[in-house]
Amino acid sequence: MKPVTLILRGLLVLAALLVLLPLVWTLLNAFKTNADLLVSTPKLIFAPVWDNMDYVLGRRSVSRALMNSLVVCSYAVLLGAVLGVPAAYVIARIKNRATQEAQFFALSLRFLPPVAVAIPMMVIWLGLDMYDSRPALIITYMTITVSITIWLSVPAFERVPIAIEEAARVDRLGPYAVFFRIALPVAKLQVLSAIAFSFILVWNEFLLAMMLTTSRAKTLPIIASEMSQLGMSVPWGILNAAVVLLSLPPLILLALVGTGLNTAFSKKSSE
Amino acid sequence: MKLGRSLPVVFLGPALIVLIILAAVPTLYAFNISLQNRTLSAPDADYVWFANYIALFGDARFLNALWVSLKWEVLTVSATMIVGIGLAIAMFEAATPRWRNVLTLLFIIPVLLPRVCAAFVWKFSFHPLYGAVTWPVRAITGETPDILASPLGAMLAVAFVDVWQWGPVFAVIILKLMEALPPQPLEAARIDRCKRWEIHVFITLPMLKLPLISLILVKAIESLRSFDLVYVMTRGGPGIATETLDMYAYSQGFIEAGKISYASGMAVVMLVLTVVMFTMIWKRLNR
Repeated sequence: MKPVTLILRGLLVLAALLVLLPLVWTLLNAFKTNADLLVSTPKLIFAPVWDNMDYVLGRRSVSRALMNSLVVCSYAVLLGAVLGVPAAYVIARIKNRATQEAQFFALSLRFLPPVAVAIPMMVIWLGLDMYDSRPALIITYMTITVSITIWLSVPAFERVPIAIEEAARVDRLGPYAVFFRIALPVAKLQVLSAIAFSFILVWNEFLLAMMLTTSRAKTLPIIASEMSQLGMSVPWGILNAAVVLLSLPPLILLALVGTGLNTAFSKKSSE
Repeated sequence: MKLGRSLPVVFLGPALIVLIILAAVPTLYAFNISLQNRTLSAPDADYVWFANYIALFGDARFLNALWVSLKWEVLTVSATMIVGIGLAIAMFEAATPRWRNVLTLLFIIPVLLPRVCAAFVWKFSFHPLYGAVTWPVRAITGETPDILASPLGAMLAVAFVDVWQWGPVFAVIILKLMEALPPQPLEAARIDRCKRWEIHVFITLPMLKLPLISLILVKAIESLRSFDLVYVMTRGGPGIATETLDMYAYSQGFIEAGKISYASGMAVVMLVLTVVMFTMIWKRLNR
């Protein structure tokens, strides 16, 4: 083996450790007592305790925020999928000026700075007396979910061979049946990973949730960030536990659609 | 390709209508608010027309935020691209297919984590008394380095976390792009006894010029969404050293004064800057 290869491999190992170690470390910290955690020399060996997790899971604000996050994200993603996936199919199948503009418009929503959406939205929801409510947050999040679902589903449908749709049409399937019984099942995996990605985006969303909620509709990231402000000293053990819980859903989704996501990435390259 | 007469309208129409409403209403509303003198405490307001905008450009803190945002964009975008290209080449040259798969999965993780989480993970690692990153310095010199307390250190530390999240996933995307390149030019170069770095500098990277520029644009757009990172790690501090535009708009509109119209004016400036700039670049790229 050449020395260059060896150096490059070392670099890769280093990068992999840099990604992995902070995560493992946080996971360990979530099970430490403050006496084990707040020490000058980091401790690798310690007696794990469940206290931090217990504290986080036992708080009413956390369980309520968890419910809020689940309900808000699920509805926003569901509505995003119902509206976005069929739209992506049309954009993928009809190539003309209008659909190209529609595709670009969906992407350009990502250019909007979140603050520029959050401030007027806050005034609007205050005016409608819907401020700090789940529906307000769901509707606001649809900006994210609809556009990202369209954006990521278009390549999924472009990959479906036209020939099988033609064949279905020869067998006298109508256009709607072709979509629901042929195109959608064939593109299923990639469409699902697009939807999973839109879920992760809104699950992680912070700025909009913080500006649009004050108490009832707070989502989990907001609660997690507030835990650093409990009293004078930062409760790092509890914070680590909250970080672990908050990070779990995206990681579970990654594991679930890991293969799907992999193919989505290779699609990008073949364009 | 025939989709029937009604399907395109039924499928595309609702999504477009919803998106247009969700985009147009807040934008027009933001502009409308920015022409008034609304505050959070008082519900009624008068039109002051462009007074907010004029005040903005005499506001040293706003100009600072503009400058910080610009520095942030340049720093994070260039560092992410360097890390992405570097790791991609390393994987392309030195990793077997199986290792590429393992690393791909691993490298996707950071970007999927909530930014709040990434910020807390690293904030604790940078902690002057208990952090794991600062531990070697503590152990050797006995000092307690507070990275987040110096203006430059804070900026670099927050940028580091951003690159930690985005660099690896960019490496994966660039690797997939490299794998999809036609092998003939690379083989020809090898036969001509090109060195390996020459192959990348003169062949693969130039061949990937367009997708790489699109990636730069994508990162520039995502870098604008750094509020969570800055908010958790520094709150714009020390002083206003890491106060980006969205951070300043937030503190003007919500924390300090509740000057919602003033913050809105700032948001409109941001909106116009980014949308006009990115639309022009994107359209030009895809022509």
